[in-house]
Amino acid sequence: MSQHKEQQGFVSFAINTSAVDYGRLAYLQCLNVKATQRANSYAVIADEATYNSFNNRQLNAFDYVIRLPEGFEQAPFAAEPLVFSLTPFKETIKLESDLLFTRSIDHWWTAFRLRDVCLSTGAKNILGTYSAVRKYRQLFDTNSLPDVYNGLMYFRYTQTAKQFFDLADYVFKEWDLIKMHLEGVDLELNPTTDVVYALTALILGDEAVTIPSMDFINFVHMKSGFNGWSDARSWLETVMHEREGDVIRINNVNQYDPVHYHDKTYATQELIEYYEQRVLARS
Amino acid sequence: MTNSRKLEKSISMSRGIVVFAFNTETVDYVKIADRTSQLASRFMDLPVTLITDHDADPEFRYDNIITIDPQGNNWRDKNVQWRNFGRHYAYTLTPYEDTVLLDCDYLVLDSSLSSLFDTEFDYKLMHHNTNYAGAVYEQMGETSLPFIWATVILFRKSKRAEMLFELVGKIQRNYGYYRKLYNIREGNYRNDYAFAIANNILSGYTLNESQGIPWPMFTIEETIDQVLYDDNFLYVKHGNDARVVVRQNTHIMDKQYLQSDDFKQLVGALVESA
Repeated sequence: MSQHKEQQGFVSFAINTSAVDYGRLAYLQCLNVKATQRANSYAVIADEATYNSFNNRQLNAFDYVIRLPEGFEQAPFAAEPLVFSLTPFKETIKLESDLLFTRSIDHWWTAFRLRDVCLSTGAKNILGTYSAVRKYRQLFDTNSLPDVYNGLMYFRYTQTAKQFFDLADYVFKEWDLIKMHLEGVDLELNPTTDVVYALTALILGDEAVTIPSMDFINFVHMKSGFNGWSDARSWLETVMHEREGDVIRINNVNQYDPVHYHDKTYATQELIEYYEQRVLARS
Repeated sequence: MTNSRKLEKSISMSRGIVVFAFNTETVDYVKIADRTSQLASRFMDLPVTLITDHDADPEFRYDNIITIDPQGNNWRDKNVQWRNFGRHYAYTLTPYEDTVLLDCDYLVLDSSLSSLFDTEFDYKLMHHNTNYAGAVYEQMGETSLPFIWATVILFRKSKRAEMLFELVGKIQRNYGYYRKLYNIREGNYRNDYAFAIANNILSGYTLNESQGIPWPMFTIEETIDQVLYDDNFLYVKHGNDARVVVRQNTHIMDKQYLQSDDFKQLVGALVESA
């Protein structure tokens, strides 16, 4: 029986840690997708513990809840390439769970279809321009890695996509060997998904898995430094934020690109209830 | 609309310059306005209306002189005091349909501003500034938004322009609130900030820079000893230093120079040669 249940939809991982309830973030994101997108099927891939933590309201909101195989408790990032074999969609937009949409991106699907795999490139600031801040990306710059972000990516069920995720899985598994060929890498740390996908894109040819000329395929990154603010404080303590309908307004500027809010305390119960009401109003 | 009514409408359309000038204990802003208004009137071929207080005794032959009560003082340092409250009255006080609202320390040396009236807009703001070093990027505070330069504002009698000026008045009256909301560093009220905030709100919480004046302002921030000119360049002397810049509209921060005899002679020569 095919793993694919629908043509297209959104997928996110939820693997709770002692500090963050990622299941809750996925629930908020699911509500946000339902409120803002016309194509709005949403699947969450959760480990056993996170799965067991879901309440009925959350389970009712998700269209698909997929259990992650055991063995990724110590290195949850290494589970990322499994999204290819676990997604219930023929075409998937895979999201990090701390990202919200402020308007429909239904038209993006058409652009994504120019590639079998499409990673977002560059990070935007709240003014909607590419951030020139590179302090978080020194490893990328030192090693001439493509400036890709896995916070938002697209893939569909093709040989190229399978090749991409198989290769990414290989990079995760052979990290101890591969990291010796990189300059400036912290040998003690596990690789981030961004680094692994950048290496994978480099090997496959980044022109095959990105569309930099489509400058809307990315998101606003709320790590303070990307916006020129001090990293000593969260953006939530630095500038005002409010909502107007689906639009998130940050520092008095409406955000029309997806917002990667980064600071998980942004996902308050009040915000969840706000989107619950919006979904209710839409239905 | 009949042809005669079209003609009537075109005659009723008018265009002019409005300058605010209120003397302080340290600066004779009316004297400065008298001089810079000669330049603006000459190079844009437009009438000038002065908005000032009852004590002013202007020398330039303005198209109109409107007197109002000055409101509040600001200090840049202990030497420079200015009165910048009430700029939002420009919309209701201007006698023109199309208005170029200028600070009196802005030297108009060409007709580029008036050519913008050939385009469609309700108002146009100056979003960018340059100095000798190049582009100047300045925000209202470390974590705030960029401000605009209220030194030059173009507006037409229209609902949207009226809303802009009304909003500026509201921001002035509630400056403490807006200062906190926008993380503004300075305690002094500035029209640059109030117009930036009003434009941000009126533009649907965007910066809307693309609708602004499509070139940056040029500002000389240093104290000036003398300015010479020819058809293409300005030669600006600062002590033992001198700079050559392309002749263009120029914002001069040195109020002492603008009150000097050298500047008076410069204005006279520029007007005569135009």
